[in-house]
This record gives sequence, structure tokens and C-alpha cells, in this order.
Amino acid sequence: MITVRDLHKMYGDQALFRGINLSIRKGEVVVCIGPSGSGKSTFLRCINGLEFFEKGEIDIDDIALHSINRIRPSKEDMETLRKIRLKVGMVFQQFNLFPHMTVLENIAEAPVKVLGMAKSGADELARSLLKRINLAGKVNNYPAELSGGEQQRVAIARALAMRPEAMLFDEPTSSLDPEMVGEVLSVIKDLVNEGLTTIIATHEMDFARDVAGRVVVFDQGEIVEIGSPDDIFTNPSADRTKLFLSRVLKR
Amino acid sequence: MRDGKHDDKGTPGDSLLQVLDPDCFFHILYPVVNSVMKKNTKIPVLLVAVMIVFCWMTTSRAAENSLEKIKKRGVLLWGADAEGGAPYVFPDPGDPSRLIGFEVDLADAIAKDLGVAARQSQNAWDSLVPALERGDFDMAMNGIEITPQRKERVLFSRPYYIYTEQLVVKSDESRIKDMKDLTGKKVGTLSGTAAQAMLEKMGGVDTRIYSGQVEPYEDLEIGRIDAVLLDLPIAAYYAKPNPKLKYAGGSEGEGFYGIAIRKDNEDLRAKVDEILSRLLKTGELKRIYEKWGLWDKTQEKLLGNTGGGGYVGLEESRKAPLYTFLPTLLKGAAATVVISAMSMALAVSLGLAIALLRIFASAPLRTLAVSYIELYRGTPLLIQLFILYYGLPNIGVSLNPLTAAVLGLGMNYAAYEAEIYRAGIDAVPKGQMEAALSLGMSRGLALRRVILPQGFRIALPAITNDFIALFKDSSLVSVIAMVELAKTYSMLAVSTLRFFELGLVVALLYFAMSYPLSLLARRLEAKLKGAGR
Repeated sequence: MITVRDLHKMYGDQALFRGINLSIRKGEVVVCIGPSGSGKSTFLRCINGLEFFEKGEIDIDDIALHSINRIRPSKEDMETLRKIRLKVGMVFQQFNLFPHMTVLENIAEAPVKVLGMAKSGADELARSLLKRINLAGKVNNYPAELSGGEQQRVAIARALAMRPEAMLFDEPTSSLDPEMVGEVLSVIKDLVNEGLTTIIATHEMDFARDVAGRVVVFDQGEIVEIGSPDDIFTNPSADRTKLFLSRVLKR
Repeated sequence: MRDGKHDDKGTPGDSLLQVLDPDCFFHILYPVVNSVMKKNTKIPVLLVAVMIVFCWMTTSRAAENSLEKIKKRGVLLWGADAEGGAPYVFPDPGDPSRLIGFEVDLADAIAKDLGVAARQSQNAWDSLVPALERGDFDMAMNGIEITPQRKERVLFSRPYYIYTEQLVVKSDESRIKDMKDLTGKKVGTLSGTAAQAMLEKMGGVDTRIYSGQVEPYEDLEIGRIDAVLLDLPIAAYYAKPNPKLKYAGGSEGEGFYGIAIRKDNEDLRAKVDEILSRLLKTGELKRIYEKWGLWDKTQEKLLGNTGGGGYVGLEESRKAPLYTFLPTLLKGAAATVVISAMSMALAVSLGLAIALLRIFASAPLRTLAVSYIELYRGTPLLIQLFILYYGLPNIGVSLNPLTAAVLGLGMNYAAYEAEIYRAGIDAVPKGQMEAALSLGMSRGLALRRVILPQGFRIALPAITNDFIALFKDSSLVSVIAMVELAKTYSMLAVSTLRFFELGLVVALLYFAMSYPLSLLARRLEAKLKGAGR
């Protein structure tokens, strides 16, 4: 469903990606791990069109993201971007809930304004999503009144309300207190089990091992190794993977 | 209280106000009131109180012999407003560093008789009397009509000129033949003049008040107003030579110009009267007036009139209680509110457009937005107003006062608003736009629903601040013939000379209008904070 070919990206005059290739099938769960700054977040942001890349191709189904002129985007280019984002939802490390809207409004806003859903229908959808993540009681609260874990669950519900075909999770638990990590991961796990195409960038190794179909190891802007969770965690082949795992698993 | 001047008056039951020397109010308060009107400073009540007490304690001016003082100094200082002051006092067109005019000639003649030199002291016409009382000059001579109100505050010499009011209309005017035809018409005149009082007394006339004598004729020429009523010397100088204007009817009313002298300078007044009588008898005064084309049959009456009285009743004596001014002041306040609200609406919407251009538009438009901001922030509002109202007619665009006022204030404040919005928008975390985009929102939708509401909340304190500042800056539009609260105050104060009480009332009115605004903003902020992150 998502195909990345020969992706190049510069940060200033420094190259981050020098040719990344990865393709993700429909219903697949891919977990990206690797040290901070290795490029896994940027990789996700490229797929969602939030980051510009200099060279390479990204296809989302039959939509070619690389065909867009990012410096002077035309109206069609903007529309293409929007189509991609409608297919691929995203959850951010910092939640990025809209602070001036209630939980319900956060979720119902885009279905109404973007998909043209009726207000009542969108509210109904939001309520049912909130029930699913056990936050039915927080419908009329503002984000500031929620814990970090609750906010991130709302952010997931907000993305789901758009009925995306795939979801990108950009380090969804990295800014959470440890006791809240579990509740967020369990929501993601439920989604994965329902068969949603998912790419997750995370530092939670147990979780990666638990849900991943494939694990992709990033280091210094390169994909070092791709394999099944068992292969990567019990029998890594690349030295850099071993080094990384020895560091994170020691903790 | 060094000389115990007030001791005998100060019984315990007396109010502070009664005990105070009236001179003292002007001495201390006029600059304060004046600065409040011009700038945006709030006068802390405490400061006023301290000043009043201070003034009360030091207010014993030893009445020295003013005549001797002048002779010792060798200079007779006389106050007048040379700005657009022809034919009274004005800069010589051939040599602008020199002042000419019939009053200059008269001052020279008086000084010569005293054996000293005359020197004009420039002062806004509106505030000649307070400035005289403050001691800025020895006498004020500038077409000051002798009125009962003024006589309460200052001494007047015997009249040196008998003025009449001349109605002027456009040369193609056929509806207005004389004063009787003015009902419902827009008539321009000078602030605080007998002509103004005359028009107000007539009732039913849409009186437009100007602070200079050139502007009403200019506005008449371009059709902003239907007629101008001003003292004959002014009409003779500015309107008569203009082929586009003509006199309507004969001159009306009769009043006297007198030289104003401080109350405690009785000796100077006596001397000036003596000199004027002599100038009249010798025909020197007549020669001066003939030189300026001002001598007419009317002036012959000067010979017989020696008393400072003889005032033609153009104004009611205004010893009225303060509340009688309230309707007029409230009308001014309403105008202030209308101007402020409309200007702010313009500033808010235009400012937003400029801010968005500056942040999101392509290079040429961005440059345009930045230029707009810099240009409007970098030039005085007063100049912008003048250009809008008096400058644009030169290139064929004539705005009415309200439009010019709202445009001037609104366009000026839009520049500030734009910067406030930009700061607010910039302060919204980047992740907000990304989250909105990732939900499939277009940039415009994201801006409208996500970024701007948050930016607005961040900018709200600054916006409120700006609105209050604009509200007070609206007093500046009085320069373009817009009568709002500040202008109403200066008009009432000039004609009644009750600068102090009226000033306090007006300050109170401004405060009563701006304070609720602060409260409202505070509540809005608190409400938005409740919905905060």
C-alpha cells in the first residue's frame, strides 16, 4: 500500500536519508526502531507529506507523493497532499490536540469540516470512539484537563474518526509518564489486531516485539536491517542493530 | 500660605475649591488637561490631589507693578496665534520669519508708546486666556471677543476693533441669501468664536467646527459644507479675493475685540486704554486699519465707546450648573464611541488581512504588507489624518469627516493590529498546524479553525490595550472637523472658560467608557484561559 523508493532527504547541507527503500503491504504492521535522531520520525513525516524530500519516490496506493511541487505547489498538488493525508492518519509524540476545543470537538471537527459529515453524525462517531478508548466521561473536557495518556488516546481517536486506511504513530508514548504508556499502547494494539495498516516509530521494545509484523532498524538515516521481531530481537545480523539493542535492552 | 492671603476666607465649612485662588487651577491644571487630551496618559487622581494641595500652598503671587516690569525688561510680550492668522497676525509671505498683520502694527504702536519693543508670543488661539493667566505673556491680542465669561477671568482694554460676522457661500450658491436660509445647512466656523455661538443660538443649523480659519473656506470650496460664518476681517482676507466664493448678505452682529490683560495688572490696562484712546484720536489706528482694508463706517463707533463693556449678546452667560453640559458632552461621547468602534472594526479586519499576507503570502505581497506596517507605524497619525482629509481633495478625492476619521484611525491601527496578530499566530506551536494538516484540513481551514482562534487568545491582551489606546486617540480626529468628546470639551471649555470642572467631567466620561472595556477583556481572557491547554 505504501512504497518508498530511493528516498533522499537533506537537513540543511547534511544528508539524512541517502536512499531508503521500504514497502508496506495492506494490513501490515511495521515498527521502526533505532537510536534518537536515526531518522524514523522523519521517515514517517515524509510519508504524510509533512516533510519535504529532495529525491526518491513515495507511492500511497496509486497516489504519487513525489509528483508534488513542494516549493510552488499548485492547487492540484495541495489536493493530492490532502488525499494522501486522508488515507494516512497520524499520531504525534506531542499529541497536538487543539487546546481551544473540547475532546468531542477535537474529534468531530475534521469529519464535519473536511468530510462534510453532519454535525450529529460526527458527534455520534466521536462518542463511540471515546467509548472504545474508555474516555466516554471526558466528552466535554478540554485537553488541558486530561492526563498525557488520555490526551494521546483522544489524539488517536481523532485520527481514527477520519477512517484512514493506514496510521502512522510517531513515538506515541515518548512524552508520557511511564505509568501512562500502557494505556496508550493497549489502544494501539487493539487497532493493530483489527488489521489496520500501521507504521509505528517507538522506543518500546517489548511492544515492538509484541505487535510488529516486521521490524525496521534505523541508524544514521539508513535502514540497517529489516526482519521479523524474532529475528531482530533474538538473532540480529547487523552489528549496529546488536549495538543498539544491547544499549536499550540493558535498561 | 506665606502671606496668609487665604486665611480670612478659609472658614472650616468652606470647600477646598472655594478657598483656592482660581488662577491656580489654570496654572497647574491646564497643562495636565491639555496633555491628557493630546497624549494617552491617565492622570492618577492622587497626582491631581497633590498638585491641588501644592498649588493651594504656593499660590500667593505678589502683585508687582507690571508696567514697571515691562519697561525694565524692555519688551512687551503679547500672545497671539499666527497659524493661519491673517489678517490679524501671520507670517509675511515674502519673508516668513517676520510676522505681519494689523494686530502686529497695533502692538508695535502700543510698545512704541511705552518705550519698549513688542514681541509676539505664539500660542494656540483656543488657550490664549489660560496662557495669559499663567503668565506666559503680558497681554493677549488676537481677535479676542469681549464676552462676560472672559471678563470674569481677565481685564479687557477698551475695544480696538468692532467686528461683524460675515456669511460666505460658494459663488454659484443660490439657495442661501443670508443668515435666515441656514436652517439644515452645513455651516463652518471657528471653535470658540462669537460666530459659533451665534449659529448655535439660531438652532437647526448643522454647525461644523474648525480650529483654523483657512480650512472652513477650503471645505466650502470643495463642497463639504454649504456656508462659512466668520468674523469680517477673516472673510475679507480669505474669502473676498477668492473668485469661487462670495459674501451672502451683509455683515451681522456687532462685537468688540479687546486686549486681554491679567486681572492683577490694572495699571497696564489703564496705560493700554490711554494709548488706544490716543491712537484713535490721532487717527493712527485708522491708518493701520486702512492699510489692511479693514476701516469701515462701523469702526467710527470706536471713538465713542470707551468702556470695555458693549458686548453684543451672542452667548448666554454660562454660569449654568455642570449637568446642563451633559447632553452636549454625551453627544460628543457617542460620536467618540461610534468613531472608535468603526475604526477598530476596520483595524481588526484590515490588520488580520495584513498579518496573514505577511506570514503566508508570496514575496511581493509580503513586501507590500511589511511596507504598509512600517509606513503607518513610522508616520504620525496626525499627519495621516491631515493628508486624508485636507490632502486628498487636492487630487480630487473628498471624504466626509466621519469617513476620513474612521479610515485614518482604522488604517493606522491596522498596522499595529497586524503585528499583534503575527506575534499571536507565531506563538501557536508548529504541531498545531501539522496536526490539522494531517487530518486532511486545507491550510486555510486549519488557519481559520485551529491557528487563528489560538493566536487570537494569545494576542487578546495586546488587542484590548490597542483598543483602549485607539479609543483615546480618537480625540485626534477633532483636527478634521469631527466633533467628538475631546472636541466638545475644548469647545465648551473655551467658550465658558471652565477648563477645570469640564475637564474632570470629560476625563471621567472617557474613563467610564474605557474601564468597562478593560473589564470585559479581562473576563474574556479568563474565559478563554479556562479553555486553555
